[in-house]
Amino acid sequence: MSVHVASVGVGRFGKRTEGLVELAAEAGGLALEGVGRKPIDLLVVGSMLAHGGSGREPLLPRLASRLSLEASSGVRVESTSATGAMAFHVAADALATGRFERALVVAAEKMTDRTTPEVTGELAGALHPSEAAHGATMPALAALVSQRYLERHGLPLAAIDRPSVHARAMATRNPNAMFTAPVSAAEVAASRPVATPLRLLHCAAIADGAAAVVLERGEGAAAVLGLGQGFESMRIVDRPDLTTFAATRIAAQRAYEMAHLTRKELGVVELHDAFAPFPMIHLEDIGACGPGEGASWYEKGWVAPDGRLPVNPSGGLIGRGHPIAASGLAGIAEVALQLRGEAGPRAVAKAPKVGLAHAVGGLASHNFVTILGSDAP
Amino acid sequence: MTKAAATPLALSRCEACHTRFLPSDSPCPKCGSTRVHPYPVPDHGRAIAATELSAPAPGWAAPHRLVLAEVADGVRVLAVVDGALPSPGDPLRIALDGATYRARPAAASPRERGEGESPKARRAGPPFEPPR
Repeated sequence: MSVHVASVGVGRFGKRTEGLVELAAEAGGLALEGVGRKPIDLLVVGSMLAHGGSGREPLLPRLASRLSLEASSGVRVESTSATGAMAFHVAADALATGRFERALVVAAEKMTDRTTPEVTGELAGALHPSEAAHGATMPALAALVSQRYLERHGLPLAAIDRPSVHARAMATRNPNAMFTAPVSAAEVAASRPVATPLRLLHCAAIADGAAAVVLERGEGAAAVLGLGQGFESMRIVDRPDLTTFAATRIAAQRAYEMAHLTRKELGVVELHDAFAPFPMIHLEDIGACGPGEGASWYEKGWVAPDGRLPVNPSGGLIGRGHPIAASGLAGIAEVALQLRGEAGPRAVAKAPKVGLAHAVGGLASHNFVTILGSDAP
Repeated sequence: MTKAAATPLALSRCEACHTRFLPSDSPCPKCGSTRVHPYPVPDHGRAIAATELSAPAPGWAAPHRLVLAEVADGVRVLAVVDGALPSPGDPLRIALDGATYRARPAAASPRERGEGESPKARRAGPPFEPPR
């Protein structure tokens, strides 16, 4: 018995006036409407950051109450920026047991109600304490990875500008994206430095937002074919190779094995581009290309909607904005829309049969790969 | 910024799998064994990658410079940089200042200067990544 994505609900990402529960309810409500308000017997929610004076807001019961899901069971999950993917995996596994028929999965984050230093400090909590104690931030460690990637493969600095240009170009076709205007490589290279060599436009922006899907038992164009996750040491000093993420390679291998597929069958992918150089590494880690070749994929335009393997047609994290927990589910939602023929003007040139969504937790210490596709015989 | 203290680096060696690692107060990162012993190393290394942050974590002043350095074969440390931002391959003096590793530029040893090697080998040194 298979499990498939029956509907998708994504609200607008960016600076929103609504609070966490309202954002979650908006996306969740859209997904529920997509299945004609059919009964839900499992609600899985995810968010990362603490809210309110007393810490965590009780998002699960508040959302269940708000969406009138009194007859549903519920789970709340958290794994930093991979939270949305984790919520999806938990729901898919629960449905596969046969105990549940239909699940609503919601991942939401409210970030713009606090200062950038506050958010940066809280996100540094996803790093190992011994490295955060040296004043490291997420962009700082991402910068070390980026510099090593460029150096190792002998790439020019301009190589890291292309993924930002691509992301922002894709986002112009996504009405829910935070950024609707394209940027040039020159604008990326001239944006203010954050952590050398990374500049502002190399980094996904702080945003509010929520994404939701309804998962149900049965067959469909966006069935769950493969699920995989992997861990790697939180400390970058323990990693023998900075230019690859072992957690992605493990997650991808597990997902391909479960799906009985190889990367050759992928027709669209959503990769976790919290920092511009990362999707080049992810392309290599999911097996789409060899070490150092991710950069040339961007240079040659093979990541375009009509390219060899369309990457991030939604705009990715850099184009959509990065409401931490929501990002992992938004990538899965986009792949589902593409497979279901519901992507509208963002539809990739060749209608895909199989797609892959990838999510990174922390500085790639806990990564997820989700493979969706038609399970029709 | 305080001057780097002259505390020697306290590396550990795992009795079970012989991995050498930092910091000294944790189990072996490779096999998890707690049978670890102090293993002294020279207080110098070389830069793998370095970055200058315009917005460091709370409690640190901008600009804040960090370097990932290799201090012994396969042993790495994240250190706060005192002085100019090092380039990859640059020799560093590294010291432990309380719980903080600090790095500053160092004169290269004869071996690190790569005497007798080609200019390219001198610049690149041994590879930082194992073969895939």
